Amino acid sequence: MTDHLAQFIVAGLTTGSIYALIALGFCVIHNTTGIVNFTQGDFVSLGGLVIYSLLMSLKTPLIFAFPLSVFAVTVVGAMVERVAIRPARSRSVVILVFITIGVSVFMRGVFKILWGKNQMGLPSFSGETPISFVGATLIPQNLWIFGITFMSVMSLHFFFNRTRMGKAMRAAACNPKAASLMGINVNLMVLLSFALSGALGAIAGIIIAPITTLSYDIGVMLGLKGFAAAVLGGYGNSFGAVVGGLLLGVLESVGAGVVSSTYKDVIAFGILLLVLFVRPGGILGHSETERL
Amino acid sequence: MSTRSFDGKSLIGPAILAFFIISLPLLISNPYYLNVLNIIGLNTIVVVGLTLLIGYAGQVSLGHAAFYGIGAYTSAILSVTYGISPWIAIILAALVTATIALIIGIPTLKLHGHYLVMATLGFNLITNIIIVQCDSVTGGPSGFPGIPPLSIGRWAIDSDIRMYFLIWSVTLVAIIFGLNLARSRVGRGLRALHSGEAAANCMGVPTRIYKIKIFVLSAVFASVAGSLYAHYLSFVSPKTFDIFFSVELVTMVIIGGLGSIWGGLFGSTFITSLPNLLSSFDEYKDVFYGFILVVILISTPEGLILEICRKIDVFRKKRRQGNNDSRDKQELDTVGPSSISGLSLAASRQILREPLLRIKNMSKRFGGIAAVSEITFEVEKGSVTSLIGPNGAGKTTTINLIYGVYRPNKGTIIFGHNRIDGLSSYQIAARGMARTFQNLQIFDNITVLENVMVGAHSKPGSEFLVSMLHIPPYQKEEEMIREKSMEALEFFGLDEAADSPAGQLSFGEQKRLEMARAIVSKPELILLDEPVAGLNRAESMEIAHLIMKIRSKGTTVLLVEHDINVVMRISDKVVVLNYGTMIAEGSPKQVQTNEAVLSAYLGGSF
Repeated sequence: MTDHLAQFIVAGLTTGSIYALIALGFCVIHNTTGIVNFTQGDFVSLGGLVIYSLLMSLKTPLIFAFPLSVFAVTVVGAMVERVAIRPARSRSVVILVFITIGVSVFMRGVFKILWGKNQMGLPSFSGETPISFVGATLIPQNLWIFGITFMSVMSLHFFFNRTRMGKAMRAAACNPKAASLMGINVNLMVLLSFALSGALGAIAGIIIAPITTLSYDIGVMLGLKGFAAAVLGGYGNSFGAVVGGLLLGVLESVGAGVVSSTYKDVIAFGILLLVLFVRPGGILGHSETERL
Repeated sequence: MSTRSFDGKSLIGPAILAFFIISLPLLISNPYYLNVLNIIGLNTIVVVGLTLLIGYAGQVSLGHAAFYGIGAYTSAILSVTYGISPWIAIILAALVTATIALIIGIPTLKLHGHYLVMATLGFNLITNIIIVQCDSVTGGPSGFPGIPPLSIGRWAIDSDIRMYFLIWSVTLVAIIFGLNLARSRVGRGLRALHSGEAAANCMGVPTRIYKIKIFVLSAVFASVAGSLYAHYLSFVSPKTFDIFFSVELVTMVIIGGLGSIWGGLFGSTFITSLPNLLSSFDEYKDVFYGFILVVILISTPEGLILEICRKIDVFRKKRRQGNNDSRDKQELDTVGPSSISGLSLAASRQILREPLLRIKNMSKRFGGIAAVSEITFEVEKGSVTSLIGPNGAGKTTTINLIYGVYRPNKGTIIFGHNRIDGLSSYQIAARGMARTFQNLQIFDNITVLENVMVGAHSKPGSEFLVSMLHIPPYQKEEEMIREKSMEALEFFGLDEAADSPAGQLSFGEQKRLEMARAIVSKPELILLDEPVAGLNRAESMEIAHLIMKIRSKGTTVLLVEHDINVVMRISDKVVVLNYGTMIAEGSPKQVQTNEAVLSAYLGGSF
């Protein structure tokens, strides 16, 4: 068991990185709108599917295909907001959440038509030569995943804390009314948050596609796990989303190694239930109380 | 999320449905359509429970497919593996489901917010995986075959048409139970807690218990439907009970209009038959399904049924208004807020030198800040006692401590002869206390009258079972509550607005509504938190007058107020707080000349 521990942790951190990116996507939209966006998983699928077409069918070099795919999903993310969320006559959270569920069903239907039901394979970014590292074997794609996730998290942090637009988005999230009185276009900020979540989802889908089998609905389970990661870290807390993602990945991987890989998903969602029962605010959050 | 009940008040609806149930098979004999109808019936049973949970109590669950599945599998395993009679298997399955729902509900429902969605989502996924993995018990991914049909004696209910009558009879019963519960005291309490949980708790609604009960009840509905499904199709497979079915079930509730049982029937009919209608599109099925869903949700925020009902309602109101105009005017002349001229505010003061509320050394800290420390005072029976002090002095905290919204870190609170510190708000309400709120806590999803009726919740009354079955004491009790609530509304000059949605009242009216809601239970002690804040002078004086009237009816008043004018006029005793400590106590006159008070209010000494 201990021989394999390092290996389990590497595997866990790899999927954990993906969960973290998806969880961040959930957070960004939650913070501007208060809703859970169920198309997050489909952004992941779409990222993988678009880069598959660019690489395999159009033979686009990876260096162009990567940004192009992210851009495409970013646009789709913005469209979801513009076409389905903004025109909604109700501002009720439940209704908006179910609109995203409807959009998700719709998107998956479209993916199925365009890419078919077959499973697809994608080559790694830079070969398959294994690298040995403190008792664990890594493939270059692991490193790509760690690196790209780290870069994404850092740029997101920079964006929200150092740029004018990022600060405006945070202001709009805190208090939309006050933000709009200060001259911030809140609608635009919500649109941006969907675009940003699209980008995050796309990145997750693109980097994980080479180490898994790609299909039109690959994002469904990943999206749910990302959601669990977001809850684990304290829903809406971006730092918590990253920690929650990595932690969930590692716990799931080690747990599957100890018990049985057939119960991998049970472990992931079991952790979700446990957190909700014991520490509902998440490991980094605190539960709120209703004011009178 | 707003809910409005369009569920009618009579048995006409169920009677029409019963007629349809009986006559439909005369028109439809195609087994395929009968099968669709049966599935619609089963889904409707689940949806009725879910409507009560989501539309009334405001708690969203994405785990009801799992409860449906647990019902189906438990029934299947008990009747096949253990040879238990299917009827008993259904009951046992419901008990198993109820237990599981209880285990999930107790920890998650103690919290506010959408924790239940997350927990039930995880639960549904886990249940599904477990059903797939435990193939020695459940048959695994290939399913569980050979489930026996239900039978009465030797007569097996094994055909589509026989099952049709059984399923739809159960559906009809479920709908009647749902309607009964929705219209009852319990339904009102559920909608109140949906609008404001803490406020509902203060009105005497045991919010956590209600949430757990309605969650378990809805799970049992799902379980029964699942068991019927298993005995109907004789085969169950894990795919039927995945998370997508949970999503579909909630969609049925939403499409039908949150908070309408009949809407639920419509929603389940629509969503269940949609894939069948779209089956000819095959490949494009999901695309159409998603598209229709999104369009309906975008354009009819409260569901199709409520949208239609609203239109009819507006039309009806317009017609009625024509007839009633003359009568309304007459009533306006006689009723209305009572005038304050000519009445001395300092009327008949009979204070019994007997404390009703005793607070001893009460302290409360929030983190490192002492919001209230070492407060000791008494409220005498029959008095108006006022709590004053500058902003941040700890007045509202004191009220919240007395009322069990917060728990004191130290000290005792005795009401009558019993200690009440440590009790929940709803328990304190049941002991004869009532309150209003500084930030208005109107239940804006129900009518003005219903708001006041929620105020009567602190008095014991029919709970879930009695309300659902509509057992006799129930009707009389409702009449009584309604009558008393109308009286309270009249007292505050709001009887004209009884049937309007409470959210439509003006600020001043909402303040009076809160007071009406507080007095309807005839409390011994009423806590008024800044009842005149934000009102103009005339309105303030009117409220002051009403407070005196409340007192003259035998209710003791503890008043928190900034308006010194009002306080000095109507108080028997004034307690002054500053920075969480008590700096003075005495008659209005004594307090007015107290130096500590003067310096706290005006800064510096005189």
